[in-house]
Amino acid sequence: MSVVLAALAIGVLLMGIQLWLLTVALDLFLAGESSGVWQLALTSGAIFLGGLGILWLLGRRPRIRRPPAR
Amino acid sequence: MNEGEQGLASASLSERRPGERWRVEFPYHWDADDLVSRRELLHFVVYTSGALFSGTALLGLLALLRRPRPTAPQLIARASEVPEGQAFYFRYPEPDDQAMLLRLPGGAFVAYNQKCTHLSCSVYYQPERERVFCPCHEGVFNPLTGDPVAGPPQRRLQQILVQQQGDLLYAVGQVP
Repeated sequence: MSVVLAALAIGVLLMGIQLWLLTVALDLFLAGESSGVWQLALTSGAIFLGGLGILWLLGRRPRIRRPPAR
Repeated sequence: MNEGEQGLASASLSERRPGERWRVEFPYHWDADDLVSRRELLHFVVYTSGALFSGTALLGLLALLRRPRPTAPQLIARASEVPEGQAFYFRYPEPDDQAMLLRLPGGAFVAYNQKCTHLSCSVYYQPERERVFCPCHEGVFNPLTGDPVAGPPQRRLQQILVQQQGDLLYAVGQVP
Protein backbone atom coordinates (compact mmCIF):
# COMPACT_ATOMS: atom_id res chain seq x y z
CA MET A 1 0.00 0.00 0.00
CA SER A 2 2.79 2.39 0.83
CA VAL A 3 4.40 1.58 -2.51
CA VAL A 4 1.23 2.60 -4.33
CA LEU A 5 1.00 5.78 -2.29
CA ALA A 6 4.62 6.64 -3.04
CA ALA A 7 4.06 5.99 -6.75
CA LEU A 8 0.98 8.18 -6.63
CA ALA A 9 2.85 11.05 -4.99
CA ILE A 10 5.69 10.84 -7.51
CA GLY A 11 3.20 10.54 -10.36
CA VAL A 12 1.36 13.70 -9.35
CA LEU A 13 4.66 15.56 -9.07
CA LEU A 14 5.80 14.41 -12.49
CA MET A 15 2.43 15.34 -13.96
CA GLY A 16 2.94 18.86 -12.66
CA ILE A 17 6.32 18.91 -14.39
CA GLN A 18 4.69 17.72 -17.61
CA LEU A 19 2.15 20.52 -17.37
CA TRP A 20 4.99 23.00 -17.00
CA LEU A 21 6.76 21.47 -20.02
CA LEU A 22 3.56 21.89 -22.04
CA THR A 23 3.29 25.57 -21.16
CA VAL A 24 6.95 26.18 -22.05
CA ALA A 25 6.49 24.30 -25.35
CA LEU A 26 3.42 26.36 -26.19
CA ASP A 27 5.28 29.58 -25.40
CA LEU A 28 8.18 28.57 -27.64
CA PHE A 29 5.81 27.52 -30.41
CA LEU A 30 3.98 30.81 -30.33
CA ALA A 31 7.29 32.66 -30.39
CA GLY A 32 8.17 30.87 -33.60
CA GLU A 33 11.12 29.01 -32.14
CA SER A 34 10.92 25.43 -33.31
CA SER A 35 14.25 24.22 -32.02
CA GLY A 36 13.41 23.50 -28.39
CA VAL A 37 9.87 22.23 -28.69
CA TRP A 38 10.62 18.68 -29.78
CA GLN A 39 13.14 18.32 -26.96
CA LEU A 40 10.44 19.18 -24.46
CA ALA A 41 8.17 16.64 -26.12
CA LEU A 42 10.85 13.97 -25.71
CA THR A 43 11.24 14.79 -22.02
CA SER A 44 7.50 14.64 -21.54
CA GLY A 45 7.42 11.32 -23.36
CA ALA A 46 10.12 9.92 -21.11
CA ILE A 47 8.07 10.88 -18.06
CA PHE A 48 4.99 9.22 -19.55
CA LEU A 49 6.95 6.04 -20.30
CA GLY A 50 8.18 6.06 -16.72
CA GLY A 51 4.57 6.20 -15.55
CA LEU A 52 3.67 3.27 -17.78
CA GLY A 53 6.64 1.37 -16.37
CA ILE A 54 5.41 1.97 -12.84
CA LEU A 55 1.96 0.71 -13.79
CA TRP A 56 3.52 -2.39 -15.27
CA LEU A 57 5.56 -3.03 -12.14
CA LEU A 58 2.55 -2.58 -9.92
CA GLY A 59 0.57 -4.92 -12.15
CA ARG A 60 3.04 -7.67 -11.35
CA ARG A 61 2.66 -6.99 -7.65
CA PRO A 62 -0.22 -8.91 -6.07
CA ARG A 63 -2.97 -6.77 -4.67
CA ILE A 64 -3.22 -7.11 -0.88
CA ARG A 65 -6.84 -7.67 0.07
CA ARG A 66 -7.47 -7.12 3.71
CA PRO A 67 -10.33 -8.97 5.41
CA PRO A 68 -13.19 -6.71 6.50
CA ALA A 69 -12.83 -5.30 9.99
CA ARG A 70 -15.02 -7.00 12.61
CA MET B 1 -27.90 -6.69 -6.58
CA ASN B 2 -27.57 -6.23 -2.86
CA GLU B 3 -30.03 -7.65 -0.37
CA GLY B 4 -32.19 -4.57 -0.36
CA GLU B 5 -32.57 -4.63 -4.10
CA GLN B 6 -33.27 -8.35 -4.09
CA GLY B 7 -36.02 -7.78 -1.55
CA LEU B 8 -37.47 -5.11 -3.73
CA ALA B 9 -37.24 -7.34 -6.78
CA SER B 10 -39.14 -10.14 -5.08
CA ALA B 11 -41.96 -7.82 -4.03
CA SER B 12 -44.74 -7.16 -6.49
CA LEU B 13 -44.92 -3.89 -8.28
CA SER B 14 -47.91 -2.77 -6.30
CA GLU B 15 -46.17 -3.44 -2.98
CA ARG B 16 -43.17 -1.27 -3.76
CA ARG B 17 -43.08 2.31 -2.66
CA PRO B 18 -43.36 4.72 -5.57
CA GLY B 19 -39.83 6.00 -5.20
CA GLU B 20 -38.18 2.56 -5.25
CA ARG B 21 -39.47 0.95 -8.45
CA TRP B 22 -36.72 2.52 -10.46
CA ARG B 23 -34.12 0.88 -8.22
CA VAL B 24 -35.38 -2.52 -9.35
CA GLU B 25 -35.63 -1.64 -12.99
CA PHE B 26 -32.20 0.03 -13.05
CA PRO B 27 -30.03 -1.79 -10.48
CA TYR B 28 -26.76 0.00 -9.69
CA HIS B 29 -24.06 -0.77 -7.14
CA TRP B 30 -24.20 2.51 -5.30
CA ASP B 31 -21.73 1.48 -2.61
CA ALA B 32 -19.03 0.60 -5.12
CA ASP B 33 -19.57 3.88 -6.92
CA ASP B 34 -18.16 5.85 -4.01
CA LEU B 35 -14.89 3.97 -3.86
CA VAL B 36 -11.84 4.95 -5.91
CA SER B 37 -8.83 2.90 -5.05
CA ARG B 38 -5.30 4.23 -5.08
CA ARG B 39 -4.47 2.03 -8.04
CA GLU B 40 -7.36 3.48 -10.02
CA LEU B 41 -6.22 6.98 -9.14
CA LEU B 42 -2.70 6.08 -10.24
CA HIS B 43 -4.10 4.84 -13.55
CA PHE B 44 -5.92 8.14 -13.94
CA VAL B 45 -2.70 10.07 -13.22
CA VAL B 46 -0.77 8.11 -15.85
CA TYR B 47 -3.52 8.60 -18.44
CA THR B 48 -3.48 12.34 -17.74
CA SER B 49 0.29 12.22 -18.13
CA GLY B 50 -0.27 10.63 -21.52
CA ALA B 51 -2.64 13.39 -22.51
CA LEU B 52 -0.11 16.05 -21.52
CA PHE B 53 2.59 14.23 -23.48
CA SER B 54 0.27 14.07 -26.50
CA GLY B 55 -0.26 17.82 -26.34
CA THR B 56 3.47 18.51 -26.12
CA ALA B 57 4.19 16.05 -28.92
CA LEU B 58 1.57 17.70 -31.11
CA LEU B 59 3.25 21.06 -30.60
CA GLY B 60 6.63 19.50 -31.45
CA LEU B 61 5.19 18.02 -34.63
CA LEU B 62 3.58 21.29 -35.67
CA ALA B 63 6.85 23.12 -34.99
CA LEU B 64 8.75 20.68 -37.23
CA LEU B 65 6.18 20.88 -40.01
CA ARG B 66 5.86 24.64 -39.92
CA ARG B 67 7.33 26.31 -42.98
CA PRO B 68 7.41 30.03 -43.75
CA ARG B 69 4.80 30.83 -46.38
CA PRO B 70 6.30 32.54 -49.42
CA THR B 71 4.46 35.75 -50.19
CA ALA B 72 4.70 38.00 -53.19
CA PRO B 73 6.32 41.41 -52.65
CA GLN B 74 3.75 43.99 -51.66
CA LEU B 75 4.10 47.69 -52.25
CA ILE B 76 3.89 49.56 -48.97
CA ALA B 77 4.43 53.24 -49.80
CA ARG B 78 6.80 55.68 -51.39
CA ALA B 79 9.85 56.47 -49.28
CA SER B 80 9.35 60.19 -49.95
CA GLU B 81 5.88 60.02 -48.42
CA VAL B 82 7.13 58.81 -45.03
CA PRO B 83 8.97 61.57 -43.18
CA GLU B 84 11.80 60.76 -40.85
CA GLY B 85 10.61 59.84 -37.39
CA GLN B 86 7.12 58.94 -38.61
CA ALA B 87 5.15 55.76 -39.12
CA PHE B 88 3.01 54.46 -41.97
CA TYR B 89 0.38 51.88 -41.21
CA PHE B 90 -0.52 49.20 -43.75
CA ARG B 91 -1.72 45.57 -43.93
CA TYR B 92 0.57 42.65 -44.61
CA PRO B 93 0.60 39.74 -45.50
CA GLU B 94 -3.16 39.28 -45.20
CA PRO B 95 -5.81 42.02 -45.15
CA ASP B 96 -6.49 41.23 -41.50
CA ASP B 97 -2.83 41.59 -40.48
CA GLN B 98 -2.05 45.12 -39.35
CA ALA B 99 1.53 46.28 -39.84
CA MET B 100 3.51 49.48 -39.51
CA LEU B 101 6.45 50.94 -41.38
CA LEU B 102 8.78 53.13 -39.35
CA ARG B 103 11.25 55.62 -40.69
CA LEU B 104 13.69 55.94 -37.84
CA PRO B 105 15.84 58.99 -37.10
CA GLY B 106 18.74 58.55 -39.50
CA GLY B 107 16.55 57.46 -42.37
CA ALA B 108 16.43 53.68 -41.91
CA PHE B 109 13.18 51.85 -42.69
CA VAL B 110 11.92 49.04 -40.49
CA ALA B 111 8.55 47.35 -40.44
CA TYR B 112 6.76 45.25 -37.85
CA ASN B 113 3.54 43.43 -37.33
CA GLN B 114 1.36 45.61 -35.15
CA LYS B 115 0.27 42.73 -32.95
CA CYS B 116 1.71 42.98 -29.45
CA THR B 117 3.43 39.77 -28.40
CA HIS B 118 1.77 39.92 -24.99
CA LEU B 119 -1.96 39.70 -25.69
CA SER B 120 -2.18 40.81 -29.35
CA CYS B 121 -3.24 44.42 -28.85
CA SER B 122 -2.26 46.88 -31.58
CA VAL B 123 0.98 48.71 -30.89
CA TYR B 124 1.83 52.11 -32.30
CA TYR B 125 4.91 54.25 -32.76
CA GLN B 126 5.62 57.17 -30.46
CA PRO B 127 8.25 59.21 -32.31
CA GLU B 128 8.59 61.81 -29.56
CA ARG B 129 9.71 59.06 -27.17
CA GLU B 130 11.35 56.94 -29.86
CA ARG B 131 9.55 53.78 -28.87
CA VAL B 132 6.82 51.41 -29.94
CA PHE B 133 4.12 51.36 -27.30
CA CYS B 134 1.27 49.02 -26.44
CA PRO B 135 -1.49 50.87 -24.61
CA CYS B 136 -3.20 47.76 -23.22
CA HIS B 137 -0.62 46.90 -20.57
CA GLU B 138 2.02 49.56 -21.25
CA GLY B 139 4.42 47.31 -23.08
CA VAL B 140 7.35 49.05 -24.75
CA PHE B 141 9.41 47.81 -27.69
CA ASN B 142 12.68 49.04 -29.16
CA PRO B 143 11.82 50.49 -32.61
CA LEU B 144 15.21 49.53 -34.03
CA THR B 145 15.08 45.82 -33.16
CA GLY B 146 11.53 45.12 -32.01
CA ASP B 147 12.81 43.73 -28.71
CA PRO B 148 10.67 44.26 -25.60
CA VAL B 149 12.22 46.76 -23.22
CA ALA B 150 9.48 47.30 -20.65
CA GLY B 151 6.16 45.91 -19.55
CA PRO B 152 4.77 42.38 -19.78
CA PRO B 153 5.77 41.42 -23.38
CA GLN B 154 8.51 38.81 -23.44
CA ARG B 155 8.99 38.31 -27.21
CA ARG B 156 10.08 40.69 -29.91
CA LEU B 157 7.68 42.08 -32.47
CA GLN B 158 7.29 40.10 -35.68
CA GLN B 159 9.57 41.91 -38.10
CA ILE B 160 8.63 42.41 -41.75
CA LEU B 161 11.43 42.53 -44.33
CA VAL B 162 11.45 45.76 -46.31
CA GLN B 163 13.12 46.21 -49.68
CA GLN B 164 13.59 49.60 -51.30
CA GLN B 165 13.62 49.91 -55.07
CA GLY B 166 14.18 53.52 -55.93
CA ASP B 167 11.49 55.48 -54.16
CA LEU B 168 9.24 52.45 -53.67
CA LEU B 169 9.18 50.38 -50.51
CA TYR B 170 8.12 46.71 -50.69
CA ALA B 171 7.30 44.16 -48.01
CA VAL B 172 9.01 40.94 -49.12
CA GLY B 173 8.55 38.57 -46.18
CA GLN B 174 8.61 38.13 -42.46
CA VAL B 175 11.52 37.28 -40.23
CA PRO B 176 10.87 33.74 -38.90
